[in-house]
Amino acid sequence: MAIVVGVDVGSLCTKTVILDGDGEILSYDIMRSGHYYKGAADESIENALKSAGLKKGNISYILGTGYGRGAVARADAEVTEITCHARGAARLFPDVHTVIDIGGQDSKVIGIGDNGRVTNFVMNDKCAAGTGRFLEVMALALSVDIEEMGDLFFASKKKADVSSMCTVFAESEVISLFAQGHKKADIAAGIAHAIARRIIGMVGQVGLREKVVMSGGVAKNAGVVRAIEERIETRLFVPLEPQIVGALGAAIIASERMSTTIG
Amino acid sequence: MDVKYKINRLQTTNEIRPLVDKHWADLRTAKERGELVAWASGPSFIFAYAMGMKCHFMAGYAAYCGGIGAGEEVLKVAEMAGDLPETCSYHRLHMGMGEAVARGIPINPQAILPMPDLMVAGRLCPEMSHYAEGLHRRFGVRVLPIDLPGPYSMEDLPRIREFVYRQFKEVVIPTFEEVCGKPFDYDRMSEILRVLKEVAILRNKCWEFFKDKPSRWTLWDYGVSIAPVFYLMGNPAGVTYYEKLLRELQERREKGIPAIAPDGEKYRLYWDGWLPWAFLGKFMRKFIPNGAVVLCGRYPWEFFPHPELIDPEHPVESWADLYYGMESHLTYSFSPKGTINLIGELIKDYSLDGLIMFSSKTCRVMNLAQPEVMDVLDKKYGIPGVIVEGDMIDSAMISDAQIETRLQAIFEMIDSRRR
Repeated sequence: MAIVVGVDVGSLCTKTVILDGDGEILSYDIMRSGHYYKGAADESIENALKSAGLKKGNISYILGTGYGRGAVARADAEVTEITCHARGAARLFPDVHTVIDIGGQDSKVIGIGDNGRVTNFVMNDKCAAGTGRFLEVMALALSVDIEEMGDLFFASKKKADVSSMCTVFAESEVISLFAQGHKKADIAAGIAHAIARRIIGMVGQVGLREKVVMSGGVAKNAGVVRAIEERIETRLFVPLEPQIVGALGAAIIASERMSTTIG
Repeated sequence: MDVKYKINRLQTTNEIRPLVDKHWADLRTAKERGELVAWASGPSFIFAYAMGMKCHFMAGYAAYCGGIGAGEEVLKVAEMAGDLPETCSYHRLHMGMGEAVARGIPINPQAILPMPDLMVAGRLCPEMSHYAEGLHRRFGVRVLPIDLPGPYSMEDLPRIREFVYRQFKEVVIPTFEEVCGKPFDYDRMSEILRVLKEVAILRNKCWEFFKDKPSRWTLWDYGVSIAPVFYLMGNPAGVTYYEKLLRELQERREKGIPAIAPDGEKYRLYWDGWLPWAFLGKFMRKFIPNGAVVLCGRYPWEFFPHPELIDPEHPVESWADLYYGMESHLTYSFSPKGTINLIGELIKDYSLDGLIMFSSKTCRVMNLAQPEVMDVLDKKYGIPGVIVEGDMIDSAMISDAQIETRLQAIFEMIDSRRR
């Protein structure tokens, strides 16, 4: 049985997906990347192997992706997260045409054609506005766990306006909103809409085509998902585990390359 | 097995550096010899050359600073003096140099230029006005602003051509006569245009070698070789340089030598926007190992697509026609519609696989409509593109990992379309 592994080494989290010879997911792992990407990649693969009851010797092919893709020591190949997210999303939602991926330090919108093929894409530039890191800083400013942010969105009666796109300025804006007497939930809703505002410009550049899938850690925040849905007036489809979409795509490509090599 | 791609360096391009260095050394020492100095932005430097002034062109100085690795330290001086990092890095570079001299801040001596007796500010964009205003206000430079509007459509060209021509005749030439204290030297301008015509025709013959599959050279070589049609305009050494380059390219064709070893390129690319002067090597090291060659671009194409139209017998008229004439329509190619037409032709002529849209963070005018242009061209020709953010010289605007990912992604997109 050909076991293939996709590893997505992101700026905040490292994700691993293991597929069997039939392309079925045997296991996956998500862990913080920390400061030592090579170690994180090794550990994440180890964790996923353990969950699947496999050993390193069982692996036929490893494909690395994400910003730290060069740190996957045993990788047979590397592919960008753009291609991997597209392939992963197309596997989970075959009729997907747009992927919105918001990860730890970057956000991207990917246009998808037939067979998960990337037609065009836009990524954020050097600024981390509207990314997972932005959300983390905002959670700290609100003194809530990041997981609570989504729930707070739905408790909001009247969202506060968070106009700043800059992570640093948005943090000070949150503090002044508190000073003005705005409620925590309303500020959380404002933050979600600030992220959505950042994303819709990118969606506009790529061109919105349904079905739209959202991936990445920020997709776990139901408030942000809803805010984006409201702005683009389109339903977003979120996988059960949105963080592993890139690693899944990497594993799918690994599987194809294995077949080509063997064939 | 993965192919190990490697650049086949051209020998002739090594010969450009002494020419360039001499130009800048002459400019640096001009005042010591009692010569007048001009600075220019836009196509006005030819008037200074015709009057025997030493002159530099805004982008040329940026390219030179990039080449000698002085850009960063000069930009830092500008920022220290209060220039905002978001403003045009060409502007900041000149302000930084001026401030370094005025305040006695040590910078690379090769980057220090004498302040000009006249600055001709060809206003192609709003920042050019600030640039000229800054030079006047901060350093007391005499500034002659002229307007160089961009045409939206071909129909705009005749009236803009007339407007620009009248500025040349009624404002630019009289001002140079006043500054230099002598009548304008039309004969010298004609001679400069004769040499330019010869050099540019040779250069365009070299440009044809980009059509070869595999290509015989890269746009980076072309960028390095820009000076003879740019600030070395009128220098006969440019003819010798391009004759030699043409011979080397012909020899490569005869012997089947590609721009990159072992067997030529895997990806043939277009480059939009400015050339990243300070980062040519950085980008080259990202392209070549992937088997990618950048073959053509909008900015290098500007020098000069139709040199056969140059008429040295009517120098001022011809100079206006070169930029704004209906036949040459050079400036039209910088409008969104013109850009689409130009790139469409390049896609066909140069068998391009992808478009790299270099988006300079500090030069909005060059980036306008890039996403729309990319979209239209993809729909029409099925050629993917990617926007790569960066800057001509400011490394603060460059993110290595992000550039790497974007370039890798377009290579993957091209691969997937081929399958």
